[in-house]
Amino acid sequence: MMKNKLNVVWWVIGLVFLAFFPKLFGIYYTNVVVTMAIFAVYSLSVNMLLGYTGLLSFGQAMFFGFGGYGTALALTHIPGIGVLPAIGLGVLAAVALALILSPLVVRVSGTAFAMLHLAFGQLMYVLALKLYNITGGEDGIANFPVPGLFTESLKSSPEHFYYLAMVILGISTWLMWYMTKTPFGQIQVGIRDNAKRIDYLGYRVPQSKAVIYVLSALFAGVAGSVYGLFHNLVSADGSLGIGMSFTPIISVMIGGVGSFFGPILGVAIFQLVDELILRYTESTELVMGVILIVVVMFMPTGFMGLFRTLRQKISTRRTPEAKKEKA
Amino acid sequence: MNILETKDLKHSFGPLAVLFGVDLQIEEGERHAVIGPNGAGKTTLFNTITGTYHPTSGRVFFKGKDITGYKPYKLARIGIGRSFQITSTFTNLTAFQNIRLAILSKDGVRFNLLRPVEKMKKITEETDEMLKRINLYDDRNTPAASLSYGKSRALEISMALATNPELVLLDEFAAGMSKEETADAVALIRKLTEGKTVVIIEHDMDVVFSLADRITVLHYGKILATGKPEEIRNNQAVKDAYLGDLEV
Repeated sequence: MMKNKLNVVWWVIGLVFLAFFPKLFGIYYTNVVVTMAIFAVYSLSVNMLLGYTGLLSFGQAMFFGFGGYGTALALTHIPGIGVLPAIGLGVLAAVALALILSPLVVRVSGTAFAMLHLAFGQLMYVLALKLYNITGGEDGIANFPVPGLFTESLKSSPEHFYYLAMVILGISTWLMWYMTKTPFGQIQVGIRDNAKRIDYLGYRVPQSKAVIYVLSALFAGVAGSVYGLFHNLVSADGSLGIGMSFTPIISVMIGGVGSFFGPILGVAIFQLVDELILRYTESTELVMGVILIVVVMFMPTGFMGLFRTLRQKISTRRTPEAKKEKA
Repeated sequence: MNILETKDLKHSFGPLAVLFGVDLQIEEGERHAVIGPNGAGKTTLFNTITGTYHPTSGRVFFKGKDITGYKPYKLARIGIGRSFQITSTFTNLTAFQNIRLAILSKDGVRFNLLRPVEKMKKITEETDEMLKRINLYDDRNTPAASLSYGKSRALEISMALATNPELVLLDEFAAGMSKEETADAVALIRKLTEGKTVVIIEHDMDVVFSLADRITVLHYGKILATGKPEEIRNNQAVKDAYLGDLEV
């Protein structure tokens, strides 16, 4: 009970902090937080496949991109459409793509799954470049209207955009977290550990994988949609490129694959390193590369795993002392 | 009545034939052992019955119904469970979570994204009850990968039984166990399979003769003999082919 109350207090403090963030830290850091939140949701969608189901995809950017393009196209072509329906249409595009691919991709795993996604991802990237009339080719779609919920446009009020984005991304994060707590979340980790046994226990593995796949695409679509609105630009390189498929994988690896909050930590580290390194050099990849090597070699469970091990060591060191004191 | 029957079951891996027409008959409620030398096709027989492989030809019947080629999940749902020779648990999950996955399936909670599983009291109670019955309650929160060999085997067997199947096939449940662990496992199986039909594959003749009501001897992909333990013990063909120099 005490612990629960303490948790509530922390949650309230966290929410109040986020609510006053733009006032306290100004617009530059507010935008940093929005970027982090977008990539947190995107990385969580990757972790849903990689960490919780054991599926490595090299093409998650398809869903991120479909979310972005869907929303941008809706705002460009449908006059008077609200921001939420536009996001909804983007997410729907991502979900529709996942539904089309799911019958094929749920029957493979391991390298085949990864490579199949590499192929589909590149296909979508090239399509976006070639279908100039729809996607704007290399230029992408830019300067589409971004209506607010209460104001005409969010373009000139980044503070309002911050609140809208944070609510949508916050709800998405909560939904993904909640999912891990349900029986279905248990089946998901069961598939990761031992798909054959899940089958023999009476669960349908391909169908369960399909549901996870579509949900993962849904949240990648949410992230991509908000990302497009945030930059007021959706382009093949910015949203669909192979780099966009790898970024969340790196965040997940660095933060801690399989732990729910690991990817969020990974994104935070990613952003922090970016912020700091950019002051000295343009080659942020160099530093991220070194960090990734260290993590892969020495910290298979990422920084989250490292923190956990440290905490365990501290608590085991404490208990004997505590016992001594009692005696 | 036979709960499980195979008719002329054949299976080949490419040009390599493993089963040459097996007519297995398992009576309802019995404990039946399938024995035979290495390479006789015992595990392949299990795998063709339980949907790991689709048999090359022949049919499998469960309670008179043709179940040839049924997928494992479907067999689980109609009441057939199996355990594996090589321990096949969820290694990163705790003993509790392992059993809970079986209980969830048994209670038909296979697709629920709305309620936290921790709040499903009935599921938690049933899982804990099962853990107590198999003497793993003290290891409730231990990851399966960290359990001792005997305990992880007990978990392996219990997962097959926790879905409450009518028919359960246990593939060498005592493989690699010490004498004491084997005795515990036999007691456990007696306790958990009351009223169920059990088919075991086993090499340990002490286990076979203490547990089985009837025995089928498989030899080079064919049934050599089926009968009560004494009949098998005294069967000349079986002695020649397999039991020959075993002190039984």
